[in-house]
Amino acid sequence: MFGFLRDNVWSPLAGAVLSQPYDGYAVYLLDVLIKIIVVVACVLFTFAYTTYAERKVSAWIQLRIGPNRVGVFGFRMFGLAQPVADGIKAIFKEIIIPTRASKLLFVLAPILALGPAFAAWAVIPFNDVMVLADINAGLLYIIAMTSLAVYGIIIAGWASNSKYAFLGSLRSAAQIVSYEISMGFALVCVLVAAGSLNLGDIVNAQSGKYGFLNWYWLPLLPMFYVYFVSGLAETNRLPFDVVEGESEIVAGFHVEYSGIAFATFFIAEYTNMILISILTSILFLGGWLSPFQGIPVVGAPSIFWLLGKTALFLFLFLWIRWTFPRYRYDQIMRLGWKVFLPITIVWVVVTSVMVVAKVPPWFS
Amino acid sequence: MIEQTVFYFFAGLLLLAATMVITVKNPVHAALSLVLAFFCSAAIWLLLQAEFLAIVLILVYVGAVMVLFLFVIMMLDINLTVLREGFSRFLPVGISVAVLMAVSMGLVITSGRFTTGGNYEALKHAADYSNTRELGIALFTDYLYPFEIAGAILLLAIVAAISLTLRKRPDTKTPKVEKQVAVHRAGHVRLVRMEAEKE
Amino acid sequence: MLEHYIPILIFIVIGLGLGCVLFLLGYVLGPNRPDSEKNSPYECGFEAFEDARMKFDVRYYLIAILFIIFDLEIAFFFPWAVVIREIGMTGFWAMMIFLGVLTIGFVYEWRKGALEWE
Repeated sequence: MFGFLRDNVWSPLAGAVLSQPYDGYAVYLLDVLIKIIVVVACVLFTFAYTTYAERKVSAWIQLRIGPNRVGVFGFRMFGLAQPVADGIKAIFKEIIIPTRASKLLFVLAPILALGPAFAAWAVIPFNDVMVLADINAGLLYIIAMTSLAVYGIIIAGWASNSKYAFLGSLRSAAQIVSYEISMGFALVCVLVAAGSLNLGDIVNAQSGKYGFLNWYWLPLLPMFYVYFVSGLAETNRLPFDVVEGESEIVAGFHVEYSGIAFATFFIAEYTNMILISILTSILFLGGWLSPFQGIPVVGAPSIFWLLGKTALFLFLFLWIRWTFPRYRYDQIMRLGWKVFLPITIVWVVVTSVMVVAKVPPWFS
Repeated sequence: MIEQTVFYFFAGLLLLAATMVITVKNPVHAALSLVLAFFCSAAIWLLLQAEFLAIVLILVYVGAVMVLFLFVIMMLDINLTVLREGFSRFLPVGISVAVLMAVSMGLVITSGRFTTGGNYEALKHAADYSNTRELGIALFTDYLYPFEIAGAILLLAIVAAISLTLRKRPDTKTPKVEKQVAVHRAGHVRLVRMEAEKE
Repeated sequence: MLEHYIPILIFIVIGLGLGCVLFLLGYVLGPNRPDSEKNSPYECGFEAFEDARMKFDVRYYLIAILFIIFDLEIAFFFPWAVVIREIGMTGFWAMMIFLGVLTIGFVYEWRKGALEWE
């Protein structure tokens, strides 16, 4: 599926692109465009089937069957066509714009939520050569893009001019902002360990003869945990979903949104979730490296390892959602500021001492 | 060619956004125009090869400072008519500040320090050049002292922010987590054995 | 270096464009039957009796200010983390002092109760 992405045709063109006449970069731009469309299509596909998986997993956890009706031409296929049906339904629903809302911002909010969620994917490497924008400041770019997620939510809450939406967006903004700090420090730990901001370099720094013991989850174990849990909070997933809190503020910031406008928020949330999963795999679980380093065939690095690890974390997202009760708001803030922040600060020091002391096998 | 097109696009957008910041009536729209202005300047910094600074501009200003601005503007419920009342009264002060700023900006721009000296092409770096790395080496060798002063200023900011905004209200209750955790069953639950009641 | 940013620029444009296209699709294909009840803001069945945008606890601003300060601190950490292997012990201790100063600030806000929620 990714075959044509691998043969990096455009890198020789890339160096010359700014000085070439029209022909040179027309080919280059077309190539980039095709790759971007493939990445976006894959993310959307994963989004669609994560919603399906979410319903199936929740059903299994609650001893139900889940969606199993929607099929193609009478073939039900376990309801695999469900996401398609959902999408079509969302498009054909009315977009209600409340009378007292600020119309322009109301329309802009879902677009602003979706834009950064997708933009972050530009620097994600899928294996050693399959990366759209191999920039040196990859990790910095990711953290900058994820910090923009809060805009869609704040603007949506304010533009709706509804009390529930406003409360939801306020809670959400404070929560996202709080967990971003622990997330940032966790990323700093990975950086200290790898010594590079480039995501591909970070993965390659984790390779070694001990296989999965060489990955950063082991020396940075507390950060691995903090990062993933902060990821739950950043994406407003349970147990941190006071933003939506059905029982308290109905649906939070998107209570006034309907049809495809609502679905856009939904896509943004799931895209962020997939992004957190793939980032956790890249930063802590060695990305496309095989856990069985050194053994023939299964020891080879491959994109399938990366996809497998990402799927594992996505499943964890769903599993956690259907297992834990919701946190109270003061507990969320306490966890972010009084538990995670001190742990991350201490671990930055520990990691840098390990790096300076060249602790084997990771930092020798 | 592409570079120039991108530059003129973002420079034009930057001017437009900056004008909108001071002309639009709604303060939330003004703040969002400022966000757009930051984006455009980040793009222009990027064109100047300042990779790290460009992304940090987005991270710190758009991702953090403007969030605070929006918070304040959205939640303070500013009454625009009251704000407009003093317009003519403050006009002389405003104009004199504007003139002062225009003069100082003019002095800086004409001072000759704002030219690239004609060797802009020499600024271009190879693809593997890491802006962040160069900056780190400069910051942690030659500029250690200013760096530590920045740390002290941040400490000052924390203390100032807390002493300005934190008001303890007497009627609020805070859960004492350490007490909650230390609760034992014995102090709170009593098991009572009762005879089954008969008709 | 710049050539790596062209895909990013295009990607951002496509990301925003996707949002616009989805919205337009919904706008064109969906019905549009406005109704004063349907278009009123949701409020558990009764009329909205005041403006939804209200004043808020100052604590939220404090959180936002503290976030800015820590975000700046993280921005300082990034170049340090990249060059930690090259700058030697001086650079290492410089950052430890910086971190120490900010830890004082963190302890201060903790002791002052700025992180308490009721």
